[in-house]
Amino acid sequence: MVYSMIEPVGEKTIERIGNLGRFSRFFARAAQASLVSCCSPRSYPGIWTQMHLIGVRSVPVVMITGAFVGMVLAIQAYDQLAGMGLEERLGVLINIAVVKELGPVLAAVMLAGRVGGALTAELGTMNVTEQISAVQSMGTDPIKHLVAPRVLACLVLTPFLIIYADLLGILGGYFVSVIQLKINSRAYWDFSAQSVELWDLNMGIVKGFFFGGAIAVISCYKGFTCREGAQGVGQACTEAFVGSFISILALNFIFAVVMKAIYSTFWPIQSLL
Amino acid sequence: MAKYVDKDDGIIVVRNLVKMFDRRVVLEGISLALEKGKTTAIIGPSGCGKTVLMKHMIALERPTSGEVYFKGRRIDELNERQLAAIRTQYGFCFQKGALFDSLTVYENIIFPIVQHRKITDWKAIDDLVKNKLAMVGMDGYQEHLPASLSGGQQKRVALARAIALNPEVILYDEPTTGLDPIRSDIINELILKLQRQLQITSIVVTHDMRSAYKIGDRIIMLHDGKVIADGDADHIRNHPHSIVQQFVHGEVNEADLAALRLGGTKFETQYLPEDFE
Ligand SMILES: Nc1ncnc2c1ncn2[C@@H]1O[C@H](COP(=O)(O)OP(=O)(O)O)[C@@H](O)[C@H]1O
Ligand SMILES: [Mg+2]
Repeated sequence: MVYSMIEPVGEKTIERIGNLGRFSRFFARAAQASLVSCCSPRSYPGIWTQMHLIGVRSVPVVMITGAFVGMVLAIQAYDQLAGMGLEERLGVLINIAVVKELGPVLAAVMLAGRVGGALTAELGTMNVTEQISAVQSMGTDPIKHLVAPRVLACLVLTPFLIIYADLLGILGGYFVSVIQLKINSRAYWDFSAQSVELWDLNMGIVKGFFFGGAIAVISCYKGFTCREGAQGVGQACTEAFVGSFISILALNFIFAVVMKAIYSTFWPIQSLL
Repeated sequence: MAKYVDKDDGIIVVRNLVKMFDRRVVLEGISLALEKGKTTAIIGPSGCGKTVLMKHMIALERPTSGEVYFKGRRIDELNERQLAAIRTQYGFCFQKGALFDSLTVYENIIFPIVQHRKITDWKAIDDLVKNKLAMVGMDGYQEHLPASLSGGQQKRVALARAIALNPEVILYDEPTTGLDPIRSDIINELILKLQRQLQITSIVVTHDMRSAYKIGDRIIMLHDGKVIADGDADHIRNHPHSIVQQFVHGEVNEADLAALRLGGTKFETQYLPEDFE
């Protein structure tokens, strides 16, 4: 009786740990293959193709996300600040929120949906139709041939996409604040410039590097381990998105904690202000 | 039946191969030595582990225990990088063709070549592709995408891709399954032609007995993860074992029929003939 209750728990645990181990090995091999591909010009055309598919095609969707985030922040925050007579500082709030958190995170989430889904579906279909085994059977490492270019493209381009999201977020917030809410344009920019630091902007962009890596590795892993049939591919896509999404949020949290520690070590006084 | 095989007994040698997926045993101690230049047909019912056995021969699957040798060298313990050099001596024709669907027929065939050689003379490559495609009767389809080809044509292109690097061994996974009798005969002829012209060692997994008799110098039957019959076409035709006889004549056994009559869906393993008497 007790035994039959404990057994499934143990079984699940073993399975989870096994999966984690397999993912870690995949991650290590993907990282190694990406490093090698980085240094070998032979693989550049493949990376270039992926950059086009992953990066260029994602610009519109990321820009739209950014713009709406900026605009909605302006509308939501205005009343609170206006109530205290601080409406001219609206730009501070919008721009810090966009540049530090919302721009990077929401751009990454959009990418997880757009790129992650496409990567998992593509690799998953290749897996169930034995194309991945075919690559391997011809003496080519599928991780180097299929995963590395996708990981590199995501790593390099996610930060750039975040810049686009930030830019549009700032512009969207500006238009709503100045044109609709009639805030003085000069004051809006002056207050923003005083309080948003280059550090904030850079940290948002650096995060993109980690988010991009997480999206690519998780999506490729789910594609590579996808089960047979159309249902298998569909499920792998869902799991890839959920996995990427949670990783983005978790990484973002870890990043915030670590960066705060670093920041207060180097600039202890400012953080007290 | 477990006879001893030495690692130098053939070009591919499998010794005491056991493969388990989770806790299910799929291969249960298989020992085989496959001779160079011969065609071996591996037969057996669906799901008996033919594909898994074949994948071990090129180290796409790793054994739970046991050894696999290629030309006397143990390959099941090599890492992926070491295996690359070994695998270029193989051609593998996958069951579903496994052509890269984003690439044209031409690009599919040069794939293994560009992966392993630096190409300077593209004219020679064009000729090589033409030559390989002509061998399988598909010259002129260079610019087609796989999706625009029929199943049989895809298998022929996959065959052309498998011989692009002039392999010494070709592994065919159900090359005739899903094709009509005439198309499957074309594939049989191709396999024979490649073996005669290029002295290639062929291993063919199939459950099509016509094809096995026609191309196999040697036929091996797998059942329940073990080899239950091993010999030439006559040996298999006259094999005393009832399971072999049922398989080669394509007959359902009594237990399964009785289960069908009862409207059940559970077969053989669940019922014994006595249960229905
Ligand atoms: N990667 C795998 N994971 C789990 N089970 C597998 C895997 N590959 C094959 N099997 C199982 O092994 C058995 C033999 O499969 P296979 O060799 O494909 O059969 P066939 O003789 O039809 O080619 C099947 O029951 C299949 O479910
Ligand atoms: Mg099979």
